[in-house]
Amino acid sequence: MEASELNAKALARMIDHTELHIDASYSDIRKLCLEAIKYEFASVVIHPVNIPLAAKLLKESMVKVDAAIGFPTGAYTIEGKIFETRDAIKKGAKEIDFVMNVGAFKAGNYSYVVDEMRAIKAAAGDVITKAILETCLLTDEEKVTACQIAEEAGVDFVKTSTGFGEKGATVEDVKLMRRTVGEDMGVKASGGIRTTQDALAMIDAGATRLGTSAGVAIIEGLASEVERHLKEKG
Amino acid sequence: MKKQALARTIKTGIQGTDVTENDVRKAIERAKQYPFIAYAVDTPYLELAKELFEGTGVLLTAPVSYPLGGMTIETRLDQIAFAIKVGADEINPSLNFNAIKSGNFSTVLDEIKRMVEAADDNLDVIVIPQFYILTNEEKLKVCHVILEGGVTAVKTNGHGSLCRPEDITLLRREFGNDLSIEASGGIRTTAQAAELLELGANFIHTSTPYSVLEDAE
Repeated sequence: MEASELNAKALARMIDHTELHIDASYSDIRKLCLEAIKYEFASVVIHPVNIPLAAKLLKESMVKVDAAIGFPTGAYTIEGKIFETRDAIKKGAKEIDFVMNVGAFKAGNYSYVVDEMRAIKAAAGDVITKAILETCLLTDEEKVTACQIAEEAGVDFVKTSTGFGEKGATVEDVKLMRRTVGEDMGVKASGGIRTTQDALAMIDAGATRLGTSAGVAIIEGLASEVERHLKEKG
Repeated sequence: MKKQALARTIKTGIQGTDVTENDVRKAIERAKQYPFIAYAVDTPYLELAKELFEGTGVLLTAPVSYPLGGMTIETRLDQIAFAIKVGADEINPSLNFNAIKSGNFSTVLDEIKRMVEAADDNLDVIVIPQFYILTNEEKLKVCHVILEGGVTAVKTNGHGSLCRPEDITLLRREFGNDLSIEASGGIRTTAQAAELLELGANFIHTSTPYSVLEDAE
Protein backbone atom coordinates (compact mmCIF):
# COMPACT_ATOMS: atom_id res chain seq x y z
CA MET A 1 0.00 0.00 0.00
CA GLU A 2 1.28 3.46 -0.88
CA ALA A 3 1.39 5.63 2.20
CA SER A 4 -0.56 8.36 0.43
CA GLU A 5 -3.52 5.98 -0.04
CA LEU A 6 -3.83 5.32 3.66
CA ASN A 7 -6.86 6.32 5.61
CA ALA A 8 -6.89 6.78 9.35
CA LYS A 9 -8.45 3.41 10.04
CA ALA A 10 -5.93 1.47 7.98
CA LEU A 11 -3.04 3.39 9.55
CA ALA A 12 -4.36 2.70 13.05
CA ARG A 13 -4.48 -1.03 12.29
CA MET A 14 -0.72 -0.90 11.69
CA ILE A 15 0.09 0.66 15.05
CA ASP A 16 1.27 -1.19 18.13
CA HIS A 17 0.37 1.31 20.86
CA THR A 18 3.26 1.14 23.29
CA GLU A 19 3.76 1.85 27.00
CA LEU A 20 6.99 0.41 28.41
CA HIS A 21 8.11 3.20 30.72
CA ILE A 22 9.59 1.94 33.96
CA ASP A 23 7.36 4.29 35.97
CA ALA A 24 4.05 3.70 34.19
CA SER A 25 1.16 3.17 36.60
CA TYR A 26 -2.02 1.14 36.21
CA SER A 27 -3.82 4.31 35.10
CA ASP A 28 -1.27 4.77 32.28
CA ILE A 29 -1.97 1.20 31.16
CA ARG A 30 -5.70 1.82 31.38
CA LYS A 31 -5.36 4.99 29.29
CA LEU A 32 -3.26 3.09 26.73
CA CYS A 33 -5.90 0.37 26.39
CA LEU A 34 -8.82 2.79 26.14
CA GLU A 35 -7.02 4.78 23.43
CA ALA A 36 -6.24 1.56 21.59
CA ILE A 37 -9.92 0.62 21.63
CA LYS A 38 -11.00 4.09 20.53
CA TYR A 39 -8.56 4.31 17.62
CA GLU A 40 -8.63 0.56 16.80
CA PHE A 41 -4.88 0.09 17.04
CA ALA A 42 -3.48 -3.35 16.26
CA SER A 43 -2.20 -4.00 19.76
CA VAL A 44 -0.89 -2.58 23.00
CA VAL A 45 2.75 -3.38 23.76
CA ILE A 46 3.35 -3.70 27.49
CA HIS A 47 5.57 -5.40 30.05
CA PRO A 48 4.30 -8.86 31.00
CA VAL A 49 3.52 -7.68 34.52
CA ASN A 50 0.66 -5.60 33.05
CA ILE A 51 -0.89 -8.34 30.90
CA PRO A 52 -3.76 -9.32 33.25
CA LEU A 53 -5.00 -5.72 33.50
CA ALA A 54 -4.73 -5.09 29.74
CA ALA A 55 -6.28 -8.47 28.82
CA LYS A 56 -9.27 -7.64 30.98
CA LEU A 57 -9.73 -4.19 29.45
CA LEU A 58 -9.34 -5.44 25.87
CA LYS A 59 -11.46 -8.55 26.23
CA GLU A 60 -14.34 -7.35 24.06
CA SER A 61 -12.17 -5.55 21.49
CA MET A 62 -10.11 -6.43 18.42
CA VAL A 63 -7.01 -4.94 20.03
CA LYS A 64 -4.44 -7.56 21.00
CA VAL A 65 -2.21 -7.70 24.03
CA ASP A 66 1.41 -7.72 22.88
CA ALA A 67 4.02 -8.74 25.46
CA ALA A 68 7.58 -7.37 25.49
CA ILE A 69 9.80 -10.39 26.18
CA GLY A 70 13.41 -10.33 27.38
CA PHE A 71 13.26 -6.58 27.82
CA PRO A 72 15.17 -4.46 27.34
CA THR A 73 18.50 -6.23 26.73
CA GLY A 74 17.49 -9.64 25.40
CA ALA A 75 20.33 -10.94 27.57
CA TYR A 76 18.40 -13.87 29.03
CA THR A 77 18.80 -17.60 28.51
CA ILE A 78 16.75 -19.36 25.84
CA GLU A 79 14.97 -21.34 28.56
CA GLY A 80 14.21 -18.09 30.39
CA LYS A 81 12.70 -16.49 27.30
CA ILE A 82 10.64 -19.60 26.57
CA PHE A 83 9.30 -19.54 30.11
CA GLU A 84 8.46 -15.84 29.85
CA THR A 85 6.77 -16.34 26.46
CA ARG A 86 4.57 -19.19 27.71
CA ASP A 87 3.72 -17.31 30.89
CA ALA A 88 2.73 -14.22 28.86
CA ILE A 89 0.49 -16.22 26.52
CA LYS A 90 -1.10 -18.02 29.45
CA LYS A 91 -1.96 -14.64 30.96
CA GLY A 92 -3.50 -13.32 27.73
CA ALA A 93 -0.80 -12.14 25.32
CA LYS A 94 -1.76 -12.52 21.63
CA GLU A 95 1.51 -11.25 20.19
CA ILE A 96 5.12 -11.61 21.36
CA ASP A 97 7.86 -9.00 20.76
CA PHE A 98 11.14 -10.53 21.93
CA VAL A 99 14.68 -9.15 21.91
CA MET A 100 17.12 -11.50 20.22
CA ASN A 101 20.33 -12.37 22.01
CA VAL A 102 22.44 -9.59 20.48
CA GLY A 103 25.56 -10.64 22.42
CA ALA A 104 25.50 -14.14 20.95
CA PHE A 105 24.81 -12.67 17.52
CA LYS A 106 27.71 -10.22 17.82
CA ALA A 107 29.98 -13.14 18.75
CA GLY A 108 29.01 -14.78 15.46
CA ASN A 109 27.14 -17.56 17.24
CA TYR A 110 24.38 -17.66 14.63
CA SER A 111 23.31 -21.23 15.40
CA TYR A 112 22.48 -20.08 18.95
CA VAL A 113 20.41 -17.18 17.63
CA VAL A 114 18.46 -19.30 15.15
CA ASP A 115 17.84 -21.92 17.87
CA GLU A 116 16.60 -19.20 20.20
CA MET A 117 14.23 -17.74 17.62
CA ARG A 118 12.92 -21.20 16.67
CA ALA A 119 12.35 -22.08 20.31
CA ILE A 120 10.39 -18.88 20.97
CA LYS A 121 8.37 -19.35 17.79
CA ALA A 122 7.57 -22.93 18.86
CA ALA A 123 6.62 -21.81 22.38
CA ALA A 124 4.35 -19.13 20.91
CA GLY A 125 2.48 -21.52 18.60
CA ASP A 126 -0.11 -19.56 16.65
CA VAL A 127 0.70 -16.33 18.46
CA ILE A 128 2.52 -13.80 16.24
CA THR A 129 6.21 -13.41 17.04
CA LYS A 130 8.41 -10.39 16.32
CA ALA A 131 12.18 -10.62 16.66
CA ILE A 132 13.75 -7.34 17.77
CA LEU A 133 17.22 -6.95 16.26
CA GLU A 134 18.19 -3.67 18.02
CA THR A 135 19.47 -2.33 14.71
CA CYS A 136 21.36 0.61 16.25
CA LEU A 137 23.93 -1.91 17.51
CA LEU A 138 24.35 -3.71 14.17
CA THR A 139 26.30 -2.98 11.00
CA ASP A 140 24.34 -3.10 7.72
CA GLU A 141 25.82 -6.50 6.98
CA GLU A 142 24.75 -7.74 10.41
CA LYS A 143 21.23 -6.38 9.89
CA VAL A 144 20.95 -8.46 6.73
CA THR A 145 22.28 -11.58 8.48
CA ALA A 146 19.92 -11.11 11.43
CA CYS A 147 16.95 -10.78 9.05
CA GLN A 148 17.99 -13.97 7.25
CA ILE A 149 18.26 -15.81 10.56
CA ALA A 150 14.80 -14.60 11.61
CA GLU A 151 13.39 -15.71 8.26
CA GLU A 152 15.05 -19.11 8.58
CA ALA A 153 13.67 -19.50 12.11
CA GLY A 154 10.15 -18.77 10.88
CA VAL A 155 9.30 -15.84 13.13
CA ASP A 156 6.55 -13.61 11.76
CA PHE A 157 8.19 -10.18 11.93
CA VAL A 158 11.60 -8.58 12.15
CA LYS A 159 11.49 -5.46 14.30
CA THR A 160 14.08 -2.69 14.46
CA SER A 161 14.33 -1.55 18.07
CA THR A 162 13.35 -1.85 21.70
CA GLY A 163 13.12 1.90 22.18
CA PHE A 164 15.70 1.59 24.96
CA GLY A 165 18.75 1.68 22.67
CA GLU A 166 20.80 4.66 21.54
CA LYS A 167 18.65 5.05 18.44
CA GLY A 168 15.36 3.80 17.08
CA ALA A 169 14.18 2.92 13.60
CA THR A 170 15.59 4.64 10.51
CA VAL A 171 14.07 4.69 7.03
CA GLU A 172 17.28 3.16 5.62
CA ASP A 173 17.16 0.25 8.06
CA VAL A 174 13.52 -0.48 7.31
CA LYS A 175 14.24 -0.44 3.56
CA LEU A 176 17.18 -2.80 4.06
CA MET A 177 15.13 -5.17 6.21
CA ARG A 178 12.26 -5.18 3.73
CA ARG A 179 14.64 -5.85 0.84
CA THR A 180 16.18 -8.74 2.77
CA VAL A 181 13.04 -10.55 3.92
CA GLY A 182 11.00 -9.99 0.76
CA GLU A 183 7.24 -9.49 0.81
CA ASP A 184 6.16 -12.47 2.89
CA MET A 185 7.42 -11.38 6.28
CA GLY A 186 6.33 -8.53 8.50
CA VAL A 187 8.66 -5.61 9.21
CA LYS A 188 8.01 -3.54 12.31
CA ALA A 189 9.60 -0.12 12.71
CA SER A 190 9.85 1.12 16.28
CA GLY A 191 11.68 3.67 18.36
CA GLY A 192 11.54 7.40 17.70
CA ILE A 193 8.41 7.40 15.53
CA ARG A 194 6.71 10.54 16.83
CA THR A 195 4.80 12.18 13.95
CA THR A 196 2.47 11.31 11.08
CA GLN A 197 5.31 12.09 8.71
CA ASP A 198 7.64 9.67 10.54
CA ALA A 199 4.97 6.98 10.36
CA LEU A 200 4.28 7.46 6.64
CA ALA A 201 8.01 7.46 5.85
CA MET A 202 8.40 4.10 7.60
CA ILE A 203 5.45 2.64 5.71
CA ASP A 204 6.85 3.90 2.41
CA ALA A 205 10.13 2.20 3.36
CA GLY A 206 8.34 -1.12 3.77
CA ALA A 207 7.13 -1.30 7.37
CA THR A 208 3.89 -3.20 7.91
CA ARG A 209 3.69 -2.42 11.61
CA LEU A 210 4.74 0.59 13.67
CA GLY A 211 5.67 0.52 17.33
CA THR A 212 5.10 3.91 18.94
CA SER A 213 3.74 5.66 21.99
CA ALA A 214 2.61 8.56 19.81
CA GLY A 215 -0.16 6.64 17.99
CA VAL A 216 -2.88 9.11 18.92
CA ALA A 217 -0.90 12.11 17.61
CA ILE A 218 0.00 10.18 14.47
CA ILE A 219 -3.64 9.43 13.65
CA GLU A 220 -4.83 12.92 14.60
CA GLY A 221 -2.12 14.38 12.35
CA LEU A 222 -3.11 12.30 9.33
CA ALA A 223 -5.79 14.66 7.97
CA SER A 224 -3.45 17.64 7.82
CA GLU A 225 -0.73 15.45 6.34
CA VAL A 226 -3.02 14.27 3.53
CA GLU A 227 -3.98 17.89 2.86
CA ARG A 228 -0.31 18.88 2.65
CA HIS A 229 0.40 15.94 0.38
CA LEU A 230 -2.41 16.82 -2.01
CA LYS A 231 -1.33 20.47 -2.10
CA GLU A 232 2.24 19.47 -2.97
CA LYS A 233 0.98 17.29 -5.77
CA GLY A 234 -1.00 20.32 -6.97
CA MET B 1 41.42 5.69 51.10
CA LYS B 2 43.63 2.80 50.00
CA LYS B 3 42.83 1.07 46.70
CA GLN B 4 42.53 -2.39 48.24
CA ALA B 5 40.21 -1.15 51.01
CA LEU B 6 38.04 0.73 48.53
CA ALA B 7 37.87 -2.34 46.28
CA ARG B 8 36.49 -4.26 49.28
CA THR B 9 33.40 -2.00 49.14
CA ILE B 10 32.84 -2.37 45.39
CA LYS B 11 30.34 -4.55 43.57
CA THR B 12 30.59 -4.47 39.82
CA GLY B 13 29.83 -6.46 36.69
CA ILE B 14 29.32 -6.41 32.96
CA GLN B 15 25.78 -6.35 31.62
CA GLY B 16 24.10 -5.15 28.46
CA THR B 17 22.50 -5.90 25.14
CA ASP B 18 25.60 -6.51 23.02
CA VAL B 19 27.96 -8.02 25.60
CA THR B 20 29.67 -11.07 24.09
CA GLU B 21 31.21 -14.10 25.77
CA ASN B 22 34.63 -12.73 24.95
CA ASP B 23 33.74 -9.39 26.58
CA VAL B 24 32.75 -11.28 29.74
CA ARG B 25 35.96 -13.32 29.77
CA LYS B 26 38.14 -10.24 29.36
CA ALA B 27 36.21 -8.18 31.92
CA ILE B 28 36.42 -10.93 34.54
CA GLU B 29 40.12 -11.48 33.89
CA ARG B 30 40.70 -7.80 34.65
CA ALA B 31 38.34 -7.76 37.65
CA LYS B 32 40.23 -10.61 39.29
CA GLN B 33 43.16 -8.27 39.90
CA TYR B 34 41.16 -6.55 42.65
CA PRO B 35 39.37 -7.99 45.67
CA PHE B 36 35.91 -6.81 44.59
CA ILE B 37 32.99 -8.03 46.69
CA ALA B 38 30.65 -9.19 43.96
CA TYR B 39 30.29 -9.41 40.20
CA ALA B 40 27.09 -9.36 38.10
CA VAL B 41 26.54 -10.78 34.63
CA ASP B 42 23.41 -11.37 32.55
CA THR B 43 21.81 -14.80 32.85
CA PRO B 44 23.37 -16.39 29.71
CA TYR B 45 26.83 -15.82 31.23
CA LEU B 46 26.21 -16.85 34.84
CA GLU B 47 27.63 -20.34 34.43
CA LEU B 48 30.73 -19.01 32.66
CA ALA B 49 31.29 -16.36 35.34
CA LYS B 50 30.88 -18.96 38.09
CA GLU B 51 33.62 -21.01 36.50
CA LEU B 52 35.94 -18.03 35.93
CA PHE B 53 35.63 -16.78 39.54
CA GLU B 54 36.10 -20.25 41.03
CA GLY B 55 38.27 -20.07 44.14
CA THR B 56 38.47 -16.25 44.26
CA GLY B 57 35.82 -15.59 46.90
CA VAL B 58 34.12 -13.01 44.66
CA LEU B 59 30.33 -13.35 44.97
CA LEU B 60 28.33 -13.96 41.80
CA THR B 61 25.29 -11.70 41.37
CA ALA B 62 22.33 -12.75 39.21
CA PRO B 63 19.89 -10.19 37.81
CA VAL B 64 16.13 -10.70 38.19
CA SER B 65 13.76 -8.71 35.97
CA TYR B 66 16.59 -6.28 35.46
CA PRO B 67 16.43 -3.32 35.14
CA LEU B 68 12.83 -2.41 34.26
CA GLY B 69 11.01 -4.67 36.71
CA GLY B 70 8.39 -5.50 34.09
CA MET B 71 8.54 -9.27 34.38
CA THR B 72 5.84 -11.29 36.13
CA ILE B 73 6.43 -12.88 39.52
CA GLU B 74 6.38 -16.30 37.83
CA THR B 75 9.21 -15.27 35.49
CA ARG B 76 11.13 -13.81 38.43
CA LEU B 77 10.80 -17.07 40.33
CA ASP B 78 12.02 -18.94 37.24
CA GLN B 79 15.07 -16.66 37.13
CA ILE B 80 15.70 -17.22 40.83
CA ALA B 81 15.54 -20.99 40.38
CA PHE B 82 18.08 -20.66 37.56
CA ALA B 83 20.36 -18.50 39.74
CA ILE B 84 20.32 -21.20 42.41
CA LYS B 85 20.97 -23.92 39.84
CA VAL B 86 24.10 -22.22 38.51
CA GLY B 87 25.42 -21.46 41.98
CA ALA B 88 24.99 -17.68 42.12
CA ASP B 89 25.50 -16.13 45.57
CA GLU B 90 23.13 -13.18 45.44
CA ILE B 91 20.29 -11.80 43.34
CA ASN B 92 19.32 -8.26 42.38
CA PRO B 93 15.60 -8.27 41.68
CA SER B 94 14.12 -5.05 40.33
CA LEU B 95 10.81 -4.47 42.05
CA ASN B 96 7.39 -4.23 40.38
CA PHE B 97 7.51 -0.51 39.60
CA ASN B 98 4.09 -0.42 37.94
CA ALA B 99 2.62 -1.62 41.24
CA ILE B 100 4.69 0.86 43.28
CA LYS B 101 3.68 3.75 41.02
CA SER B 102 0.05 2.67 41.41
CA GLY B 103 0.29 2.61 45.21
CA ASN B 104 -0.27 -1.16 45.19
CA PHE B 105 2.19 -2.03 47.95
CA SER B 106 0.40 -5.23 48.93
CA THR B 107 1.39 -6.75 45.57
CA VAL B 108 4.95 -5.48 46.02
CA LEU B 109 5.10 -7.06 49.49
CA ASP B 110 3.61 -10.34 48.31
CA GLU B 111 6.13 -10.58 45.46
CA ILE B 112 9.07 -9.81 47.76
CA LYS B 113 7.96 -12.54 50.16
CA ARG B 114 7.69 -15.06 47.34
CA MET B 115 11.14 -14.16 46.02
CA VAL B 116 12.67 -14.41 49.50
CA GLU B 117 11.04 -17.79 49.97
CA ALA B 118 12.38 -18.97 46.59
CA ALA B 119 15.88 -17.71 47.35
CA ASP B 120 15.75 -19.49 50.72
CA ASP B 121 19.23 -19.92 52.21
CA ASN B 122 20.81 -20.26 48.79
CA LEU B 123 20.93 -16.61 47.75
CA ASP B 124 21.24 -13.23 49.40
CA VAL B 125 18.49 -10.94 48.17
CA ILE B 126 19.39 -7.32 47.43
CA VAL B 127 16.43 -5.59 45.82
CA ILE B 128 16.56 -2.64 43.43
CA PRO B 129 13.92 0.01 44.18
CA GLN B 130 15.14 2.34 41.36
CA PHE B 131 15.18 5.46 43.53
CA TYR B 132 15.47 7.73 40.51
CA ILE B 133 11.82 7.17 39.63
CA LEU B 134 10.48 7.46 43.20
CA THR B 135 9.43 10.40 45.37
CA ASN B 136 11.02 10.59 48.83
CA GLU B 137 7.76 9.35 50.32
CA GLU B 138 7.75 6.37 47.96
CA LYS B 139 11.41 5.60 48.72
CA LEU B 140 10.69 5.30 52.43
CA LYS B 141 7.45 3.40 51.94
CA VAL B 142 9.13 0.91 49.60
CA CYS B 143 12.01 0.32 52.01
CA HIS B 144 9.57 -0.34 54.86
CA VAL B 145 7.82 -2.87 52.61
CA ILE B 146 11.18 -4.43 51.69
CA LEU B 147 12.04 -4.93 55.38
CA GLU B 148 8.57 -6.28 56.11
CA GLY B 149 9.08 -8.77 53.29
CA GLY B 150 12.23 -10.10 54.91
CA VAL B 151 14.87 -8.34 52.82
CA THR B 152 17.54 -6.25 54.56
CA ALA B 153 19.56 -4.98 51.62
CA VAL B 154 18.89 -2.50 48.81
CA LYS B 155 20.79 -1.40 45.73
CA THR B 156 19.50 2.13 45.19
CA ASN B 157 19.42 2.32 41.40
CA GLY B 158 19.90 0.26 38.31
CA HIS B 159 21.38 1.13 34.97
CA GLY B 160 21.24 4.62 33.54
CA SER B 161 20.48 6.68 36.61
CA LEU B 162 22.31 8.78 39.16
CA CYS B 163 22.75 7.99 42.86
CA ARG B 164 21.88 11.02 44.96
CA PRO B 165 23.89 11.46 48.18
CA GLU B 166 20.69 12.72 49.87
CA ASP B 167 19.14 9.31 49.33
CA ILE B 168 21.83 7.58 51.38
CA THR B 169 21.31 10.10 54.19
CA LEU B 170 17.54 9.63 53.98
CA LEU B 171 17.82 5.84 54.34
CA ARG B 172 20.35 5.95 57.18
CA ARG B 173 18.25 8.42 59.14
CA GLU B 174 15.08 6.38 58.71
CA PHE B 175 16.41 2.84 59.08
CA GLY B 176 19.63 3.08 61.09
CA ASN B 177 21.58 -0.10 60.62
CA ASP B 178 18.56 -2.28 59.77
CA LEU B 179 19.20 -1.82 56.07
CA SER B 180 22.35 -2.60 54.12
CA ILE B 181 22.74 0.07 51.43
CA GLU B 182 24.46 -0.49 48.11
CA ALA B 183 24.82 2.93 46.47
CA SER B 184 24.41 2.64 42.74
CA GLY B 185 23.93 4.75 39.65
CA GLY B 186 26.48 6.89 37.83
CA ILE B 187 29.30 6.41 40.37
CA ARG B 188 32.48 7.06 38.38
CA THR B 189 35.05 8.70 40.66
CA THR B 190 36.89 8.02 43.92
CA ALA B 191 35.46 11.23 45.37
CA GLN B 192 31.87 10.20 44.63
CA ALA B 193 32.42 6.78 46.19
CA ALA B 194 34.11 8.25 49.25
CA GLU B 195 31.23 10.68 49.82
CA LEU B 196 28.58 7.96 49.57
CA LEU B 197 30.50 5.66 51.93
CA GLU B 198 30.96 8.55 54.36
CA LEU B 199 27.20 9.19 54.33
CA GLY B 200 26.56 5.58 55.28
CA ALA B 201 26.55 3.40 52.16
CA ASN B 202 27.81 -0.12 52.88
CA PHE B 203 28.75 -0.87 49.29
CA ILE B 204 29.37 0.95 46.04
CA HIS B 205 27.97 -0.56 42.87
CA THR B 206 29.65 0.69 39.73
CA SER B 207 30.14 -0.56 36.19
CA THR B 208 33.38 1.45 36.02
CA PRO B 209 35.33 0.25 39.10
CA TYR B 210 38.73 1.21 37.68
CA SER B 211 37.83 4.87 37.33
CA VAL B 212 36.40 4.74 40.88
CA LEU B 213 39.71 3.32 42.13
CA GLU B 214 41.83 5.71 40.12
CA ASP B 215 42.34 8.46 42.71
CA ALA B 216 42.64 6.11 45.69
CA GLU B 217 46.11 5.63 47.15
